[in-house]
Amino acid sequence: MNIKTIFLLSYIIVLPELFLGVCIVYLVFHSLFLGFNRCNNFILIEKPVLFLIKLTILFVCLLLINQNFLGLRILGFSNTFVFDILTNTSKIIIGVTSIIFFFIIEHFVSIPKINYFEYYIIFLFAFLGTFLICTSNDLLIAYLSIELQGLSFYLLASFNKNSSYSVEGGLKYFILGSFSSGLFLYGSSILYGLFGTLNFTDFSELSEDSLGNNIFSPDIFQYPLFLILISLLFKLAIAPFHVWLSDIYEGSPFSSTFFFAVVPKLSIFILFLKVFNYCFLNVFFYLTDVLVIIAVVSIIVGSFGGLEQRKLKSLLAYSSISHMGYILVVFSLPNNEGFQLAFSYLIIYMLSGLCFWFILMLIMVKTVYLKKQNKDLTDLILLHKSNSGLAINLNIILFSIAGFPPLIGFLTKIGLFLAAVEVHYYFISFLSVFCSVISTFYYIRVIKILYFEISVLVGKLYYPIKNQITFLLVLLVYFLIFFFIRPNLLFFISYKISFVL
Amino acid sequence: MIFLNNLLFCLFSIPLLGSFFLVVVSLKYSKQIGLSITCITFLFSLLLLLFFDKSLGTFQFGTSQIWFLGYTLIFSLGIDGISLFFVLLTTLLVPICLLISWNNITHFLKIYLVLFLILEAMLIGVFCILDLLLFYIFFESVLIPMFLIIGVWGSRERKMRAAFLFFLYTLFGSVSMLISILYIYYQVGTTDYRVLLTFSFSFLEQKFLWFSFFLSFATKVPMVPVHLWLPEAHVEAPTSGSVILAGVLLKLGTYGFLRFSLPLFPEACFYFSPFVYCLAGVSVVYTSFTAIRQTDFKRIIAYTSIAHMNIVVLGIFSFNVIGIEGAILQSLSHGFVASGLFMIIGVVYDRYHTRMVRYYGGLNHVMPIYVVIFLFFTMANIGLPGTSSFIGEFLILTGSFQSNTCVTLIGSTSMIIGGCYSLWLFNRVSYGNLKTQYFISFLDINKLEFLSFLPLIIGICLMGFIPFIFLNYLHMSVNNLIELIYF
Repeated sequence: MNIKTIFLLSYIIVLPELFLGVCIVYLVFHSLFLGFNRCNNFILIEKPVLFLIKLTILFVCLLLINQNFLGLRILGFSNTFVFDILTNTSKIIIGVTSIIFFFIIEHFVSIPKINYFEYYIIFLFAFLGTFLICTSNDLLIAYLSIELQGLSFYLLASFNKNSSYSVEGGLKYFILGSFSSGLFLYGSSILYGLFGTLNFTDFSELSEDSLGNNIFSPDIFQYPLFLILISLLFKLAIAPFHVWLSDIYEGSPFSSTFFFAVVPKLSIFILFLKVFNYCFLNVFFYLTDVLVIIAVVSIIVGSFGGLEQRKLKSLLAYSSISHMGYILVVFSLPNNEGFQLAFSYLIIYMLSGLCFWFILMLIMVKTVYLKKQNKDLTDLILLHKSNSGLAINLNIILFSIAGFPPLIGFLTKIGLFLAAVEVHYYFISFLSVFCSVISTFYYIRVIKILYFEISVLVGKLYYPIKNQITFLLVLLVYFLIFFFIRPNLLFFISYKISFVL
Repeated sequence: MIFLNNLLFCLFSIPLLGSFFLVVVSLKYSKQIGLSITCITFLFSLLLLLFFDKSLGTFQFGTSQIWFLGYTLIFSLGIDGISLFFVLLTTLLVPICLLISWNNITHFLKIYLVLFLILEAMLIGVFCILDLLLFYIFFESVLIPMFLIIGVWGSRERKMRAAFLFFLYTLFGSVSMLISILYIYYQVGTTDYRVLLTFSFSFLEQKFLWFSFFLSFATKVPMVPVHLWLPEAHVEAPTSGSVILAGVLLKLGTYGFLRFSLPLFPEACFYFSPFVYCLAGVSVVYTSFTAIRQTDFKRIIAYTSIAHMNIVVLGIFSFNVIGIEGAILQSLSHGFVASGLFMIIGVVYDRYHTRMVRYYGGLNHVMPIYVVIFLFFTMANIGLPGTSSFIGEFLILTGSFQSNTCVTLIGSTSMIIGGCYSLWLFNRVSYGNLKTQYFISFLDINKLEFLSFLPLIIGICLMGFIPFIFLNYLHMSVNNLIELIYF
């Protein structure tokens, strides 16, 4: 293979990202000059622009699906970018989620009056950052793409310019996010000082050799790795570093919360996986106990903290804290199938999160105060009378998230407990089961509000829902049941991925 | 052969497919269609009785299908003599439930019917499944429809508390069982029931596993420290909910003891039997006395059913053929009698919308047929010879007398105290002056209600006069079970 082919191959690896980047630049110009609406004083989002955005993501997904090197692992741009099944599959999942996301928010951005085209462009930038995190094979590239993703999120959080809460949320997110990114950078600079490289492939070879030959003691790795760990836990909002989450969820506009509650978890988790399970696998076993303790604390905080929440977004924030805790438990157990189970848990977490946020988007209350962003639990009262089908779907989703038997959430949770029992972590498994029962309490309280409040006579008025949106929702909820009846497909995907590492 | 092998799968899928079908049809005919689906299920389940081979103690009508390769979980169905009658009881009670709620369910009728059909499918699944993890899945999935039935169609504001108590008590009880099932899976490599029977756990393991299973089943039975959810759930549930709760859901506990605790952990069963005797004895006496001082019609019956179910537990832990057969018969009989009594309450509740005993009196002047049926069920509740309860209790007490005399003495007091509160209740409601200051119009039971009482009355008499037709089906399977315990 000559130099030219290698160079070409590098470009083929990042082709979807390149395509997306070029498209974003084009879309900026298009919406600035061609998508101009003369009827209004400011530039509103136009239907063709939206269509172009969806088309772009669709093409990116098609590129990803076709980007198949027979399951080989290929490195490009002097080993800074990587292609394997893990990155490819996770990028496809993120892509599909984003298409669904854009379909959903299309109808619900105009009501809170944030329908500027920049909003979508920033979403696309966040999307690009998410992709690059998955593709990166180098700590510096990873840092830069985290920053790309993060900066877009700070903007998205504070996009509701009229609301002081939104600006406050964005500022908080910016300060805490940049602080944690700083920790990441600090950790990686120490690693550079130790090894003279930032490449994941080099790290994995070096750490294997050095530990075998007793060149380095594992204590040396631990300090920078702890810094990187803390930064990533900040991004994932796992328990000791979770306090920002519900605040920022409450502050930011609904559609942007939707995006950063569902999509980036997967990408950050892939990075987490690459750093700890691929580069420093030997050192990772020293961290197991710490990680398990953190995960259990996260589960406890998530399940007990959610009990007192009266707002839907805070409830979801605490729910996500406990779920990330479960994923971390599976991931950190000294177990062969840990990663596989964690990945399937993540997919199901994203799916059910997508469904849940979808329904919360649909429940737009027609009240006098239109700009009311934050939804209380009481907004759902008598939903089963005003829209019975929506209530049934929400019911199924809640039971699935709570991990209840005839739905897929149960199977993924079972996998977690089984993994914990297999390595004789009985206390951990008992504690997580106990906490899952506690957290069931706040899920079924939502169901209580949906169904049982008959004494309240006046329900809320909601905006009507379009047909295609309903179809999409039913399709998504159908998967929650389908995966339980035929779980082989889901677990086969994660099984295939687990061979990469 | 192909027909017989798929019989159980068909039985399981008829209500499920029916519930999908119900979603599509118009609201006008949904009641009729729902009832006919459940009736078809019942008639279909009678085929089981027809083709069941009494001379075999093994699982019959077996089918299996691979469900989940990742954990090698196999969806295998099969029934033996123990589970046969529980399946029949379920399929009989669900049409009756729909009949008695024919006129009084007005809102969300379709969801109500769908939930009942799903509940029926799940209950058939629980009794037929031969896989421990899938048993747990069905055992838990029963909670969702029942939670919604109590919460949505319950009568008072307190129903939310009742629904939450029901849900959380059962869930807390069963999570320990989940961990144990996973431990068993890890140890044996499968959760197939027939494979587990050949595996013997060490004594220490048995003790832990037995106890965690016991927590879950004892909450379902319910035994005394964890019984509080039952009176609440019964009182707040609609009549049909109470019927299915008393008729079938409480049997899940005793069925679990029979199916899993006894054959899988026999040594632990013997080790813990004094503990079980103690709890069951306390439950019997305590709940019987508590029943006397209740003022709520439904609460009295709820506490009665706790006492009766604990006598069943005594029968199960007597570890002999007579006791266990008696326990199964008493479970069935309790399914008939308690459901009948709850329907009796439902009849007057539909008319007067109160359950306080003090508002009723002298109903024999105006509702004679109602009072006759009430008398019949009261006598069956006490255990009059000629009714099914007599056979069940007699067999249980005979069986448990062989293993422990003392606890039998305590258990048999329930028959006397049971006589007290049942006759007291019947006396208050039926005799005395007619309390016209509270109620003005009176209406005896109509054809629909009579029709729904009829199968239960026939069942009770049949079991009371010719019990051997039921016992014939049980003998081989119970002998099999006893062999598994002792060898």
